[in-house]
Amino acid sequence: MHEPGNADPTVTQSQFQSATSPVMPDPPIDEMVDGGGGVRPHWRQLLGVMTGLGPEELRLRAAALNAALAEEGISALSPGTAEHEWRCDALPLPIPASEFAVLESGLAQRASLLERLLADLYGPRTLLEEGVLPASLLWPNPGYLRACEDLPGRPRLHLYAADLVRGANGVWHVLADRTEAGNGIAYALENRRMMARMLPELFAPHLVMPLRPFLDSWEDTLRALLPAGAESAGVGLLTPGTGDPYWAEHVLMARELSATLVEGGDLTVRGGALFLKTLRGLRPIGLLLNRQDGDQIDPLELAAGSAHGVPGLLDAMRAGSVRVLNHPGARLVESPGIAAFLPALAQRLLGEELILPSVGAVWLGDPDALARVRQQPRSWWLRPALDGRAAPVNLAALAPARRDALMARVAADPGSYAALAAMGFSAAPCVAPVGLEPRPIVLRLFLVSDGQGWRIMPGGLARALGPDDPLAGRLPTRALSKDVWVLAEQGASLIGPAVPAAPVLVIRRTAGDLPSRVADNFNWLGRYLERLESAARLLRAAVSRIVRAAPTPRELAELEVLGACMAGIELVPAGTDAALGAGSLAQAVLAALRGQGRMVLLLGQVGRIAELLRDRMTDEMHATMSGGVRALRESLRGQAVRPYHSPRDEHHALEEAAVWLQRALELSAAMSGLIAENMVRGGGRLFVDLGRRIERAQAIAVEVAAALEPPERADGARAEAGRVEAGRVEAGLRLVLELRDSVLTYRNRYLGVMQPAPALDLVLADAGNPRGLAFQLSDATQLLTAIAGESEVSFAPEMATLLARAEALVRDVQRAPDQAEAAAGLPPALRALSGLIGALSDDVSRHYFSLLPATRTVGVDALAIDAGGDGLLGAA
Amino acid sequence: MGVVYQVRHETRYRYGATVDVAAHMLHLLPRALPWQRVLSSAIITDPPVERCVDGRDHFGNQVTWLFMHRPHADFTVTLEARVVVSAGLAPADSGPAWEDVAALMRARAAWREAEFVFASQHAPADRAAAGWASLDFPPGRPIMEGLRALNRRFSDEFRFRPGVTEVNTPVAEVLRRREGVCQDFSHLMIAALRGLGLPARYVSGYVRTRPPPGQPARRGADQSHAWVEAWAGPSLGWIGLDPTNGIEVREEHVLLAWGRDFSDVSPVRGVILGGGEHGVLVSVDLAPAENEQNDNI
Repeated sequence: MHEPGNADPTVTQSQFQSATSPVMPDPPIDEMVDGGGGVRPHWRQLLGVMTGLGPEELRLRAAALNAALAEEGISALSPGTAEHEWRCDALPLPIPASEFAVLESGLAQRASLLERLLADLYGPRTLLEEGVLPASLLWPNPGYLRACEDLPGRPRLHLYAADLVRGANGVWHVLADRTEAGNGIAYALENRRMMARMLPELFAPHLVMPLRPFLDSWEDTLRALLPAGAESAGVGLLTPGTGDPYWAEHVLMARELSATLVEGGDLTVRGGALFLKTLRGLRPIGLLLNRQDGDQIDPLELAAGSAHGVPGLLDAMRAGSVRVLNHPGARLVESPGIAAFLPALAQRLLGEELILPSVGAVWLGDPDALARVRQQPRSWWLRPALDGRAAPVNLAALAPARRDALMARVAADPGSYAALAAMGFSAAPCVAPVGLEPRPIVLRLFLVSDGQGWRIMPGGLARALGPDDPLAGRLPTRALSKDVWVLAEQGASLIGPAVPAAPVLVIRRTAGDLPSRVADNFNWLGRYLERLESAARLLRAAVSRIVRAAPTPRELAELEVLGACMAGIELVPAGTDAALGAGSLAQAVLAALRGQGRMVLLLGQVGRIAELLRDRMTDEMHATMSGGVRALRESLRGQAVRPYHSPRDEHHALEEAAVWLQRALELSAAMSGLIAENMVRGGGRLFVDLGRRIERAQAIAVEVAAALEPPERADGARAEAGRVEAGRVEAGLRLVLELRDSVLTYRNRYLGVMQPAPALDLVLADAGNPRGLAFQLSDATQLLTAIAGESEVSFAPEMATLLARAEALVRDVQRAPDQAEAAAGLPPALRALSGLIGALSDDVSRHYFSLLPATRTVGVDALAIDAGGDGLLGAA
Repeated sequence: MGVVYQVRHETRYRYGATVDVAAHMLHLLPRALPWQRVLSSAIITDPPVERCVDGRDHFGNQVTWLFMHRPHADFTVTLEARVVVSAGLAPADSGPAWEDVAALMRARAAWREAEFVFASQHAPADRAAAGWASLDFPPGRPIMEGLRALNRRFSDEFRFRPGVTEVNTPVAEVLRRREGVCQDFSHLMIAALRGLGLPARYVSGYVRTRPPPGQPARRGADQSHAWVEAWAGPSLGWIGLDPTNGIEVREEHVLLAWGRDFSDVSPVRGVILGGGEHGVLVSVDLAPAENEQNDNI
């Protein structure tokens, strides 16, 4: 235990030196230091540990903390990583339990008030009748969803978040209410997880309230809120998908709450009930934790044309078979204009004073308020009255001309604006490049209701504001945050509520519950990985020949075949093979790695699909894959910036390309290894493997066909049939063996004597060769059997037929009097086989992935008015 | 007494490709009103639907939800109804000055009517429209006089011309073109009134196919029709005005539903999965029932 006096005075002094910030009109108060310069009691131990670590160590830890967040935290999870820089300061924000208890009761009261307010505004609207709330805050409010008035199910407000600031008098003030989607819980959890790992010493002397019991009880609450009759149905978390800036939060929350992460397209409403479309059919969903805009959830009744919603969801809600939390129209009560009336509404609806004061909020539709704001605009922050997501504008920070222009707009339509009284609020020390730096703090806390009472998360998310950070509104995706510690009193018991007995789960081993969309994505993951690998192999084989000082005639012939193979999969432009100078091929190969080249596109596809499957992969798999793709891309960008003017430059570029291709192959191998070793056989794994097998089978068939086909002559005609050059067929087969990594096996079996039938057997018919066609088809047959399970429809027999066809091809060559000639005749049959494999794959997709087109809205365009005016039925 | 009308409204979708799943929301059942009694009304679909739910929307209109989960290549939904419409009394007087009605919008007592003074998707509070309408609303003019004059200007200054506009055509453009259909005229009139601070709402329904003897053929017959209701203060209440025909709504109209604009009361709105290109055929017939013709003459 550290003595309170251990604090290093130099640390506490230095932090006041940069204490000016544009958001603070008054001298700020400090979270850590009281007015007399003494360290507040609940900071003493923390300060002691910090001093013990020393400034250098603290900075190192802070850097490690952010590196860890970037690599495996929210930033790593988020799509388009560059824009999502979520950092966590190494110093937490401690709050004593007694102080937190006030926040808890104050916010619970406020949440109850908002619940009552929703009940009235979506119900009898007595508040308008009585004139407590002006009608102009309701009728034009975009958050007011008329279609959502008669939805049953309580509570309407289930998750509530509030942003708070501590005023100069030391009292916490509510700055804004978040009732639609109070984002940030997952961010808070990540902060805590990383802090505990990187700075365990800080925790040691404290009794920090754990977050886990809150999550456990939240999960139980969700189960308890399942509608009557749907108690065994699933709980889903509805996300707009990977394009959403808070997608990472959705993934983490779904995991924490054992909810299925679903998108609108995964769901369907049948007979007034909601279902998840899975490989095995429809699975009922009884509760949706909604994380998309409320007006997007049902294109039938709400915003027409919403691509994310589920048509008929409101019908299912009215039928009582599914509950959506929060109420889709809950955004209404986070309107800044309504916030101005909360003190009066608390009196009217609860008969109580608000326990926690609000940051002075006024609605400018009130002439007195407007007059006050016009008189002293610099003392106010301006907000749109009906949009709580917009960040407030600090009128004091605007240039006078802009402020005047804005105030003129306000004067023209005052009812559309609200204002917050600018006030000084507290700052807390943050680790800076040198010493500590105080930054203004906005605290976000989270509460969950079970319909009876509110429970607060004993922690939260503190944002340490920089000059450009928004004060309130939508949670930004980049910020410096702090872990919030609720410090229990000494001797308090920190044990959460006893874990209630979980229902006994039925043991499942099948992939049945896998959403069809996810299975489809896994299938494409397999296919893209295989495409990347086989493209890299071809390019590597080409590069290794091009860079030789003097290619032998055989190598030139092989390059010709490689060119044809690469053109076949659009890796290089068609025609590159014909004009065979190694020079032009070299340019084409390098082009595939530049700009919008084929390899670049493939890499992008792998990266995208990895993001789509983020929530379905282990952290290790995802880190390997997204990290690998990122590194490969960056390295390509590095190569692309160096121009090459001379053969020497080109040679250098090719050698660089060879190294890069090797790395691409290593990534593919690493992914295959992780999939083989880490993924449960079943579910997504079956579809990754199937995608890979199908893609590879097609590639082999096409490759062998290209290798055996006579090259196109300059005049476009193929070599005459019947005059097969045995040497060329042999060269083609050697190349095929090389591309299929089967040279060693062939040599071991046949001691280097090259004959068509044995080579083709190894590549096409030997089911033991994992790089051969037969292996792909036979494995695909088994996978399809496993996927079909006990269902009646199985595509395995059809796949087995294709295997038999491949075997027959080799048999025919073996029995032919002239094997070379027979082999040279194979290409059409091989191409046909590849086509059949593709067609079968399409059938599989259609059956399992229900590739339905996007929904469309009809009848909202206009009244159907006939120009002629005479419809089908004339007037009687 | 009133006129007994027989209504038939058929909407037929022909899809280019099979539709696997479909959901429709109808604002198609006539609304019961003091001057409009619904003797019978039914919605018939072909093919039959798997689920049909009746309810009321925020505005008190009847709504029907239809859900289909079986593949189908076309879909027909038909309303058949018998409705008695009694001629409303003409407003007793010209009402208060229009500014007094506008001033009431800020008062607590008119909080319900205030819903229709705010801009909506298809009927924004348009400044140009309000400027155009203000000619009919000089200071102090009784509201009924202004409303009637504005209503007549549509038939005087505008050409009824199907096919030149669609629902997203801004009211400003309708004002500029001086042509369009009932929907455009209604949205424009609503926007103009809202621009003046007066509440106005969009009404969906039908106008009789053949005019009463001695009257000109009505525009907008044989199809879904739309008109406007404007609020003329607490004693006169909502006044029905048909700008397309330049007439006040008496007993030639059957009312289905009202809302802020078309998007609130689209007669048939649906979401389909699949379907490819699709075509819609709509036919409407509104005629006095044969055996009750006498009531009308």
